[in-house]
Amino acid sequence: MRSSTSRLWPVWVLIVVVLALLYAPTLPVIVLSFTDTQGNPSIVGYAELLHTDIVIKALRTSAVIGVAVAVLASILGLLAAISIRELGIPRLVLLCMLLPLFIPGVSMGLASALLFKIMGISPSLVTIIIVQTLWALPFATLIILTVMATFDPAYLEAAYVAGASRLQAFRDIEFPLIAPGIFGAASFSFIISINETIRTSAVQGPWNTVPTYIWSSYKQVGLSPVLYALMGLIILSTFALAIAYLLLTVRRKPAA
Amino acid sequence: MRQALLSLPLLFIVIFMVVPLGVTIMVSFWERAGLRFKPAFTLKSYETIVEGARLDVLIRSIAAAVEATTLSLLIAYPIAYVLARKASPAVARLILLLFTVPFLINYVVRNVAWTSLLGRTGTINSFLIQAGIVDQPLDWLLYSNFSVFLGLISTYMPFMIFPLFLSLAAIDRQYLEASADLGASAVATFLRITLPLSLPGIFAAVVFGFVGCLGESAVPIIMGGVGYELLGNTITSSMDVLNYPLAAALSTVVIVMMLLLMVSWYLVFDLKTFLGKILEWRS
Repeated sequence: MRSSTSRLWPVWVLIVVVLALLYAPTLPVIVLSFTDTQGNPSIVGYAELLHTDIVIKALRTSAVIGVAVAVLASILGLLAAISIRELGIPRLVLLCMLLPLFIPGVSMGLASALLFKIMGISPSLVTIIIVQTLWALPFATLIILTVMATFDPAYLEAAYVAGASRLQAFRDIEFPLIAPGIFGAASFSFIISINETIRTSAVQGPWNTVPTYIWSSYKQVGLSPVLYALMGLIILSTFALAIAYLLLTVRRKPAA
Repeated sequence: MRQALLSLPLLFIVIFMVVPLGVTIMVSFWERAGLRFKPAFTLKSYETIVEGARLDVLIRSIAAAVEATTLSLLIAYPIAYVLARKASPAVARLILLLFTVPFLINYVVRNVAWTSLLGRTGTINSFLIQAGIVDQPLDWLLYSNFSVFLGLISTYMPFMIFPLFLSLAAIDRQYLEASADLGASAVATFLRITLPLSLPGIFAAVVFGFVGCLGESAVPIIMGGVGYELLGNTITSSMDVLNYPLAAALSTVVIVMMLLLMVSWYLVFDLKTFLGKILEWRS
């Protein structure tokens, strides 16, 4: 075994190289977002963000939708994880929850747009929230599921024996132990929501989120200082949220 | 009451995902009426696909998806192998998260970011010219097959590591020890035990990568440049001109391929075992 460890060193190099390649493109964007058109360091792009009404509106819309998706996806993900344990058809439920992973964004966007059109539902924040929750749900379910797997159901049995109702047992015993997973799922869903473009743009109607604003102005006018600032903002906030997610989920000790 | 609450997530998936996919297939047989569409049963949209240049786009997209997925698998498998076998759980977890973050960053932003590295006046070309390695900027770096593949692989490869990691981590080490005790070489053990047992994970990764690449719409626009057409951006441009039946027909092709892959996964590669592995996995 030891000899094979040393023979696998090229793979560690591969990991480092691939990670470097994945992160490399974000650097110029972050640098350019803090540079003016003459190439001097400045926060002119970010300052301009705050003076562009359409951008402020998009930021607000993204924030509202992000919170809604985080709440909805983590509740549905929690229910899904419990139903996987208790409905007696675990694999079927899990397969259904994972389905959105295997449908390309453009097909999912189109499918939702057609459904809403046929049912006469006009595009709104609600349609955007539904479509994004669908995309966040597989991740939220998996995160809660892995945390739940470390929870010993015997604790629940003990609570029932002691006379607790199912709701009491869940609230007092299981929830505190799996809470990090639920908050982890919520923060992950928030990250997914504020980054989603293609599904959102199919059902956005008159609403713009930050990514759909970036996408449409990139296609129409190309890159600009405001766009670099917005992209820098998205990248930096995703990094910050990912670190928050890591801290939320890593602190938990496995249930003894 | 309790049952109803627990079946909410399933209902949500059925209503907002299974039904809409059915609607897509249905609308693909409808006809276009001005800027709207109305119920009918016509194969007109499919004829448009087969007769026009879109058939080439379809074939090229399938080929590109197969190639990009194969390359991604060749990168992702060794990474997943090392993380599952040689890394401590904490290190594996951290590296997996590092692979997840770029996948999460808005892919328009991510691909636009690539263009600022790869363009004629981009970072790489400026560096190569200043270092005297080339005297003309390299043209093939951007708006080329190279950049499109780079975009596809960097978008979908990172997430393919997860199912591979799961299936590799779940292999019982006693099998490997038994194989070694019986005198098999490391290579033989890999080929006869590890590889076959990781097939469900390979298939999950392949379905995820292939379907993703096939439907990808931002990469061909940003990294392929004007006129670079793949199935995904053909669907969005049909939507832009409000030809929903055509968009639905193109999308149906993707959905049917996804369903075929899922069914063959179920029949051949033991989807149930793979799902079971996810259920048993403890991080």
